[in-house]
Amino acid sequence: MATIHEQLDELLAADLHDELTAAERDEFHAHLVECAECRQAFQEGKTMNRILNETLADKKADPAFEQRIVSRFRDRVPKRAGLIGLITDLMRVRAVQLTAAAAVLLALAQMGKMLTGEAMTPKARYEETVSSHLEARLQEKDQDKPGAFRDGGTFEKTDDGRTKTAEVAALKAPPPVPPMDVVTSTVPRPQTEALRAAGLTKTKKTAGKDETAPASTAETNAETPAEPSASPSSVGPTANRKLVRNATAELEVVSFDESVQKITAFAAEEKGYVSTTSSEKQENGKLRGEIVVKVLPDNLDRFLGKLRGIGELKNQALTTEDVTKAYFDTESRLKNARLMEQRLIEILKTKSKDVADLLEVEKELGRVREEIETMQGELKFMDSQVAFATVTITLAEKNMNVPAAFLLKERAQLSLYATEVEKTYNDIKALASPKVQITNAQIDRDNTGRVSARLSLLLAPEESDAVINKVKGMARVENFQVTTDRVSQGGDGLGENAKTERDKVELNITLSHDEQEIALQSTSLRIQTPEVNDKTKQLRAIAEQQGGRIRSSSFSRDPNGREYSTVSLRVPMKNYNALMQSLNGLGKVENVSVRRDDRPNSQIDEANAPADVSIQVYSEGNIVSEETGIWATLRRTIGQGAGALMWSVRMIGVAIAFLAPWALIIGAVGWVARRVSRARAARKQTREEEGGQS
Amino acid sequence: MTDASEHAIYRAAIQGDRDAFEMVIRAMSRNLFAIAYGILQNREEAEDVVQDTFVKAWKSRWRVRDSAKLPAWLGTIARHRARDLARKRRPEPLPENFESNEMVAFEGAAGQKADLDGEVRSALAQLPELHRAAVTLRYFEDLDYGTIEQTLGLTNGALRGILGRSLGLMRKRLKPALAAIG
Repeated sequence: MATIHEQLDELLAADLHDELTAAERDEFHAHLVECAECRQAFQEGKTMNRILNETLADKKADPAFEQRIVSRFRDRVPKRAGLIGLITDLMRVRAVQLTAAAAVLLALAQMGKMLTGEAMTPKARYEETVSSHLEARLQEKDQDKPGAFRDGGTFEKTDDGRTKTAEVAALKAPPPVPPMDVVTSTVPRPQTEALRAAGLTKTKKTAGKDETAPASTAETNAETPAEPSASPSSVGPTANRKLVRNATAELEVVSFDESVQKITAFAAEEKGYVSTTSSEKQENGKLRGEIVVKVLPDNLDRFLGKLRGIGELKNQALTTEDVTKAYFDTESRLKNARLMEQRLIEILKTKSKDVADLLEVEKELGRVREEIETMQGELKFMDSQVAFATVTITLAEKNMNVPAAFLLKERAQLSLYATEVEKTYNDIKALASPKVQITNAQIDRDNTGRVSARLSLLLAPEESDAVINKVKGMARVENFQVTTDRVSQGGDGLGENAKTERDKVELNITLSHDEQEIALQSTSLRIQTPEVNDKTKQLRAIAEQQGGRIRSSSFSRDPNGREYSTVSLRVPMKNYNALMQSLNGLGKVENVSVRRDDRPNSQIDEANAPADVSIQVYSEGNIVSEETGIWATLRRTIGQGAGALMWSVRMIGVAIAFLAPWALIIGAVGWVARRVSRARAARKQTREEEGGQS
Repeated sequence: MTDASEHAIYRAAIQGDRDAFEMVIRAMSRNLFAIAYGILQNREEAEDVVQDTFVKAWKSRWRVRDSAKLPAWLGTIARHRARDLARKRRPEPLPENFESNEMVAFEGAAGQKADLDGEVRSALAQLPELHRAAVTLRYFEDLDYGTIEQTLGLTNGALRGILGRSLGLMRKRLKPALAAIG
């Protein structure tokens, strides 16, 4: 029983907690009866168990404990919104995590492929891998007979690819195909084996090579001869085709006629003919034209090659039109129409009873025949089109742009000053004749009575110089301008041999009154004379004598008794000197000033050009002015004194206005300051008084 | 509650069924409180530990692979949290002075009871953590040994030794008091 004694604590606790099996308890209690020490411990244990139950009972959680825990859990872990909660919950499940990671990786890989541009290849690569798988599987299957598997491999490669794809398709259809299925589903393989075994020659080429050469070389050898075999077969179909070949060419040649001859010769050489030619002469005498040549289609290329020798080829185009379908359609329709015709004729022959029917048949026959003719014509046209290729050649001679002639176009501008504008205007109009055409004439008069006129004339070249000179003689020429244009005809180059012709001369005339003319020379002078009035009269007389015209005159007398008379007049230049001389007779000429406006580049006749003279005739007047003398002086002095006084008064006013605001401001500030200081002093005093009292 | 239905609830709780998890809370909170109290000897702190344990368990519930071990797992979390908390507050003075004050304040039978209370408390404090948890689980909730083993994650039969040793030690320590009462 030593064990029980040693295990006392354990057994005791278990007994108190009612965790002993019946056998254990019996044994334990039996021991307790025997062992006093254990009995003592058992008693103590029992007491302690009670104490523990008592003391710890109030420590345990209160009845509301669970509810509190649950509600606080709810507060701390709020329910998530449906979808997000579902996703976050899902993400906690390992399988979902793994799937998501795999999906992300796959997406990344796919994106990478797209970025690097590999996207185009995967399919091909897939097929490759599939076929290599297939091979590998075949290898596994046929390991016991290596020759067979090799044949299988080469067959797969050398055959035209259709069998290969068939196999691949067979593989693709059920994705996880076990190797057994693959072998059974590749139908072509056993077939070829069978063929080879029987010695049949359907795939003789490849089979034969397989036996002699290794697979890799067989592959390359098999492909090279296969290629050219295609080209002769491609010629075959075109032989039966109806092809219309047309060509256009544009050439620049030295001589048109020579080229036409050459082309005709070439056409004859190539068994063709020139169908049409047309030419056109340009303004400058150069030729441009078109030639249409028909040649046999087979010789077309050679003909075009020869054309290049004629001149510079600007452009060339070659077209081919396939009319096979239309041709045969028409042909079969024609055949039907002929049958119809035959039948109608038979009807006419056999069943000729009713006249109306006969007429109907006759009409129908006519229609069919017409159709037949149209179709025959069409076919014939197509035949001719096919039989001969049409070459349209455009020829142009070189230097198309060289001008053939030049035209001199003269335009003259004439400005005239006339004393009597209207008379001159009418004189010019009177010049009109077949060779002098007046295209435009117009006369204007403004409010001040000034008259001006404009005329446009068209002169025959031979008459032009004479007419212009005649007009020039009619009035004073202010300005004459001629502009000449050389206009080239038929091109804009420099023609060495081109003739130059004069065209009609266009003359524009402007007529103005000569008063408006600016004087060539203007002079001003003074003449002193006691009798102003008389001398002025004499002056007018002289002016008239010299062909001058008085433009303005004035007379005035000033307070000092001086008299002024001003006369402006205009004389022709030729009389100017004479006028000046005769002026000397009038009195003492002083202060002469002359200004001349030379117009350097104008060809005017100076003798008739106007000269303006402005003459002032004046007298000395009184010696002592009315403004001198004692009284006058005195009056002036007093007046000036009073003026000075008034000025000083004004200045004082200004000064006051200037200073007064400032004085006011300063005064106000001083007053305020004094009030403040006085108030302060008073407060101080009262405080001192209070201090004294306390 | 049969074993099967219990397991179904555990599984649902692990898979995120809140109602199931709340049922687990109701079923387990007292046990966890007992464990935490055994280690901390403080009701408020123990309650906090229980609270934290459930929140943490909810957040990392997907770690539990065998739903049958959910109670043991919860127990482990509670024990670890309680131990962390106990370590943190170690510098705090033991509440024995407080007890003595109380002893002064109350006399007679009540004083005797308070005295006994303190003795039990200090005797319990002598035991290792696991042992304390086992004792409180037994005396708080009156659980059978199997459930206690399940909650503490103990293997079959280990609890008997633990409780035996615990009670033996306490008995030796409380001998004078027991003698006085006896």
